[in-house]
Amino acid sequence: MRVNPNVMPDLLAALEQSQEQQQNALLELASSRRINQPSDDPGGAALLAQIRDQSSLADSFLRSAGSVSGQLQMADSALSSVVETLQRAISLGIEGGTSTASDSDRAAIANEVSGLRDQMVSLANLSYQGRYVFAGTAVAQPFVLDPNVASGIRYTGNAGVNSVEIGNGFRVQVNQPGSEIFNAAGADVFQAIQDLSTALQTNTGIDNAVIAVRKAFDCVTQKRVFYGNSIQQIESQKNYLNSAKLQLGQQENTVAAADMMAVASHLINAQNARNATLAAIGKTSQLSLFDYLR
Amino acid sequence: MSSLFASLSVAVNALHAEQGALDATANNVANANTPGFSRERPVFTEGDPVTLGALTVGTGVILQRLEAVRDPILQLRIDDETQQQGRLDALVAGMNQLQVRFSASDGDIGNLISKFFASINQLSTDPGNLALRQGVLLAAGNVASAFRNTYADLQDQRTNLDLNVIQDVNQVNSLSKQISGLNAEIVAMQNLGRDPSALEDQRQALIEQLGGLIDVATVQSESGLTLTTRSGSAMVVANQSFALSVRPDSSGLQRIYYQGSDITGNITSGELSGLLQLRDEEIPGVAAQLDTLAAGLANQVNAAHHGGFDLSGTPGGDLFVAPSGSGVGAAGVLAVQITDPARLAASSDSSSPGDNGNLLALAAVRDQAIGSGSSPTNYYSSIIFGVGNEIANDSAELDASKLMLRQLQDQRSAVSGVSLDEEATNLIRYQRAYEASARLVTVINDMLQSVINLGKE
Repeated sequence: MRVNPNVMPDLLAALEQSQEQQQNALLELASSRRINQPSDDPGGAALLAQIRDQSSLADSFLRSAGSVSGQLQMADSALSSVVETLQRAISLGIEGGTSTASDSDRAAIANEVSGLRDQMVSLANLSYQGRYVFAGTAVAQPFVLDPNVASGIRYTGNAGVNSVEIGNGFRVQVNQPGSEIFNAAGADVFQAIQDLSTALQTNTGIDNAVIAVRKAFDCVTQKRVFYGNSIQQIESQKNYLNSAKLQLGQQENTVAAADMMAVASHLINAQNARNATLAAIGKTSQLSLFDYLR
Repeated sequence: MSSLFASLSVAVNALHAEQGALDATANNVANANTPGFSRERPVFTEGDPVTLGALTVGTGVILQRLEAVRDPILQLRIDDETQQQGRLDALVAGMNQLQVRFSASDGDIGNLISKFFASINQLSTDPGNLALRQGVLLAAGNVASAFRNTYADLQDQRTNLDLNVIQDVNQVNSLSKQISGLNAEIVAMQNLGRDPSALEDQRQALIEQLGGLIDVATVQSESGLTLTTRSGSAMVVANQSFALSVRPDSSGLQRIYYQGSDITGNITSGELSGLLQLRDEEIPGVAAQLDTLAAGLANQVNAAHHGGFDLSGTPGGDLFVAPSGSGVGAAGVLAVQITDPARLAASSDSSSPGDNGNLLALAAVRDQAIGSGSSPTNYYSSIIFGVGNEIANDSAELDASKLMLRQLQDQRSAVSGVSLDEEATNLIRYQRAYEASARLVTVINDMLQSVINLGKE
């Protein structure tokens, strides 16, 4: 068998190959990613697209959870003030109902109770970032003064509720219609306050009026539980989303990150191979028999 | 009895023969680095013996011809592999160009679809907020323009490939013409009893070039060489060449014709086949998948949008411009229909502009199946997989083919390559033999001198 006398093309091809390996390793090192284009690992690249989608979804859930939780906290603290106000009304009613209270005392107390009502209306018309929190899904100011209504306050909102998705398929209700909180049947906050004020002025049925306010107080306290629960749910969902994001990040790393040690050793290997080939080319004797003939 | 003159002619023949052999060596050495050159060796034969009385004596050496050392079977395999490599080279280069669009980046389609759904989710926390509404329209616009840009890129690449097809066909025609010309010269030289080896080498180099472009089969016959495509269209027959022609079809893409019939689909290897595969299969395949995704997404989003009401309580229209019924070309023309953010149908209750019920329906499109039962993101990731996998496979095949070709070429070089060491030894052999023959002439001359001077003085 005759030996291939011309080895240069082979050496050049080897040189080209080691150079390509070197470039690939350098690209991986520079980007610190194993997958720079789909052909680097088709399955990995496809998986990566899904991971990125999930991670972007988790990001958007987190943002939504943040703004929803702000709104719920605002509503909760407003209701806490409502509860305090009702408590004040109850103690005022009890004070006015004692036998020692004079007419002028009761008139003063009745006056204060009326003031509490105004305070309550302003709490019920709370707005968060320009939206009325207790208007259902309506957008206008929900509680307006209206002398034609018994309680003097009319609800103009609706009974709609909104839910926001803060997890895959996990929706959290973000509002309760004001009518359910303030105008519950038999426990209308404004009516109770109005009645208490009237009872104090007329000194009749004060005890019953206080009982009605107490009912309203119970109703609002009960409704307030919803906000506390929701906030807690959102907080735990936020924790979950954060850990999910962390996990997705880790998963992305596993799929796409370059194994630096391995890449560095690839690079060194490629460089060694290249140096060896270069040395081989340099040393490959270009001498032939001709050089030995005189 | 022998004759001095006979011996003299033996010596002179030997001189000629060795000189001819030296010519071969000289030519080999000179072409040591010529690509495609096949070394030549002298073919010596003994002269016919003559019988003179009781003696039978040899009549020396005859240099019959210089013979090029070739392995035709090996050459056929090299041709095959060259054609294969031509196809894969074109394919991989084209696909690499295509996959850039599908490399993960902030602007890729998948990422923008995710952002679109994120913007809807964001709006659901405050459905009346005009800035957030504008954000949704903007995100939808980004999705649409990413589809359009990617689609336009694919079409541009297709147009460029079409130009390459024309160039390749022209090159094929010019090569087959040159080969047929060489064919004629080779036959003419053979008829005159001359050695056409140099022209054969040239022709072989041209055939290899041709094989890089299109699939050719070579058939060697008495009257010369015949080149046909694998599907049997003769391109070169003896001294005649048959040109391919291109003609655009109804969609404006060039088809390749041979003698009036369309052979575009029959080209199986060479660069042309790679270009055609890209132009007619790979790129349209990816474009069709983009169409499915764009049309599916637009239709689902529109359907969900129809179910809602905008800020003024009007039922929602199309959010994206409705794609055509078949969905063909949908990715190229995807656009957002709505320009007024107030027209976004977020509410599922015509009397409550603050309701966000329909946004939940819109967000749910995220998980709804479009074409072949997968969600938009999953569908997109399957496109990425398809493109990446095609390249990975073709690249592996290309690497294997390169290695194969390299080995075959090594083998060819082992058979036909010029070894300077070998030539040096040949040089010594022929030179010494020449010197010996020349010496013989001198000796015979001396002897003749003696004969002529017999009886003198």
